Amino acid sequence: MFKEKILIIEDDVQIQNFMVYTLENAGFSVEGVVNGKDGISYMVRKNADLILLDLGLPDMDGMEVLYKIRQWSEVPIIIVSARDQDKEKAAALDDGADDYLTKPFSATELMARIRVALRHYYRMNHSESEERPDDTVYVNGGLRLDNGAHIACKDGKEIHLTPLEYQLLLLFMQNPGKVLTYHTILRKIWGEGYGEDTQVLRSVMASTRRKIEQNPAKPEYIETEIGIGYRMREYETGK
Amino acid sequence: MKKMKEVLLSLLKLSAIVFAATILGKIFTGLGFPETNIVVMYLLAVLLVARFTLGYQYGILSAVVSLLCYNYFFTEPYHTLAVNDPGYLITFSIMLTTSILTSALTTKEKFLTKDANERGKESQILYRLSSKLSDAADMEAVLKIAAESISRLIQVNVGCIYIGRHSEPIYIQQSGEEQIHRVASDVEKIRKEYTNLRTEYLEEEEAYGYPVNGREHLLAVVRIDKTVKKEQLLDKKKLLHSILDNVSMAMERIEVTVERVRDRENMERERERANLLRAISHDLRTPLSGIMGTSEMLMDMTDKEDRRQELLQGIYQDADWLKSLVENILSLTRLQDGKIVIHKEMEAIEEVIGCAVSHVERSFPDRAIQVDTPEDFRLVPMDAKLIEQVITNLLDNAVKHTKPQEAITVSAGYTEDYVVVSVRDEGEGIAKADVSNLFKIFYTSKTRSADVKRGIGLGLTICETVVKAHGGTITGRNRTDRKGAEFLFTLPLAEGEKESV
Repeated sequence: MFKEKILIIEDDVQIQNFMVYTLENAGFSVEGVVNGKDGISYMVRKNADLILLDLGLPDMDGMEVLYKIRQWSEVPIIIVSARDQDKEKAAALDDGADDYLTKPFSATELMARIRVALRHYYRMNHSESEERPDDTVYVNGGLRLDNGAHIACKDGKEIHLTPLEYQLLLLFMQNPGKVLTYHTILRKIWGEGYGEDTQVLRSVMASTRRKIEQNPAKPEYIETEIGIGYRMREYETGK
Repeated sequence: MKKMKEVLLSLLKLSAIVFAATILGKIFTGLGFPETNIVVMYLLAVLLVARFTLGYQYGILSAVVSLLCYNYFFTEPYHTLAVNDPGYLITFSIMLTTSILTSALTTKEKFLTKDANERGKESQILYRLSSKLSDAADMEAVLKIAAESISRLIQVNVGCIYIGRHSEPIYIQQSGEEQIHRVASDVEKIRKEYTNLRTEYLEEEEAYGYPVNGREHLLAVVRIDKTVKKEQLLDKKKLLHSILDNVSMAMERIEVTVERVRDRENMERERERANLLRAISHDLRTPLSGIMGTSEMLMDMTDKEDRRQELLQGIYQDADWLKSLVENILSLTRLQDGKIVIHKEMEAIEEVIGCAVSHVERSFPDRAIQVDTPEDFRLVPMDAKLIEQVITNLLDNAVKHTKPQEAITVSAGYTEDYVVVSVRDEGEGIAKADVSNLFKIFYTSKTRSADVKRGIGLGLTICETVVKAHGGTITGRNRTDRKGAEFLFTLPLAEGEKESV
């Protein structure tokens, strides 16, 4: 049976132990290293299917590790960091990290993030070779977005979206479970030159939520990641 | 008696001087000097009389006597008051006018000198007082100096009571040369009486009480023994007031110094405590992650029916509680350190509320929190992370103080200048004893029931610190529409003002 290999770069032994056990229990093959250098050299020699990367490493900055690995590998990388490192988290996500986990996290959270990242990775690899068709129908929970017909429905009823709202929803439907930073969203929808002003994005998000959410302050679909961006919750039926 | 003596003495001086002048005049005539010398001699005599006696009257009297003597002894016919040559009348009148004027001027000058001397003495007293006062290191020293100098000034016993705000009352009594401490009783009564005093002083049973007022409040009361003569008080009134002003200034200076020292000490102690807390909390965070992760993993590996499951649950929950405590301490120490600047950005309150709610619901899966936000969308400047923590703390509190079936609601609304966020529950409400202490650091309710999870009294303190740093307000009270508590906080919609804590 094929076992996906996960590389953990984390200097705290307790947390590493916990992650190793959890992941091995879940059927992954796991390798743990305690500094950045070992992590990079492991990737060079043996490669892995996913990396859990702590930002605070003893020998080098986690960001540097991320940057070096990204030079030759598209492997999913999940950042593990402390609570008060929002800026670093957002920067890491913009620089190619796939997701982040805030310490302390639970085994459930860890597993959920890993599943999303791996699924994404395969889907991306898949679509890169075949070019995802423009008329894909995306489904997540009660939401259905038919990109060919340009129609969005919620619980079977059509919802009317402005072009920007549609673009936004489409972007999230294409990336379920994945955190999208303000920077990424702005670049994808408003274009490269738009800058970092998130106010318009927030107001488009607010109006989109009023159409797809029962209660915009208790979102079921698009959740807020304060200081970082948004994430669309992925529902099992949406698979 | 004394006055009679003075008059007699003055008259004696007068006669002696005029007599001497007459003798000298006689000698001059004997030697054949012209008469003008004699006139000048008498003028000198009048001047001397004015100089050495008190009051105008002696000068004028001496002028008249001199004139008569001159007339009697030196003008023809000699030894009578008659005058042969009418030309002398002119001499007489000029002589009289000149001598009267001279005497008046001399006397006036003498009064002025005396006045100046007295003023000089007063300013010397004040100068000495103020230099002593500026050397005084504490309130007691000021009181001692005040009691001593006032007592010396008016020669009776004087008591000084300090009843300012910054320390216990001090009562120094000057009794002769000795100073004794007395116990100030009924300070509140004294304060009340003297704060609203409309007159210059208050007549008490044994003393006249003078208030020493600071800029903002009553500082002290000076009690002057009633054995003092009223005239003397009246006489020294100005000086006494100057002394009291000086004392008041010295007392205020000491109050300010004491306050500043106390503030600095408090701040330092606070900072030290914060640093210690922060260091401990920081180091706790990592092992806590390990404990939580490991216990969760063990739970996964343990059969659901196994009794060990419960024990593991306990470990996990306690670690989780510790974790949130550590996070709170870290936020608070960071905030209260005063160094951290709040990073305000335009945020949507509904997003922040949403995050806090989902956070709390994740920790308490059996609780559903109702959320009610306005339809219209506005961006509010805030540090979203910190405001999320405020709402989370309020929700945590609400969960702790309610039973699962009792509803918790978060709602938001806009006024003209503020966004108002409220967290309401239907639980036990806030005990009377706690209302005024809600936001105090490390305050935990003593009235809560035993089954409620313990707190450490940081949650609400953090809320208050954060909200205040944003320029908003926070209040907690019992609901009026039903049972339960409600907490409201506001954040200004306009950017600016206090950016840092």
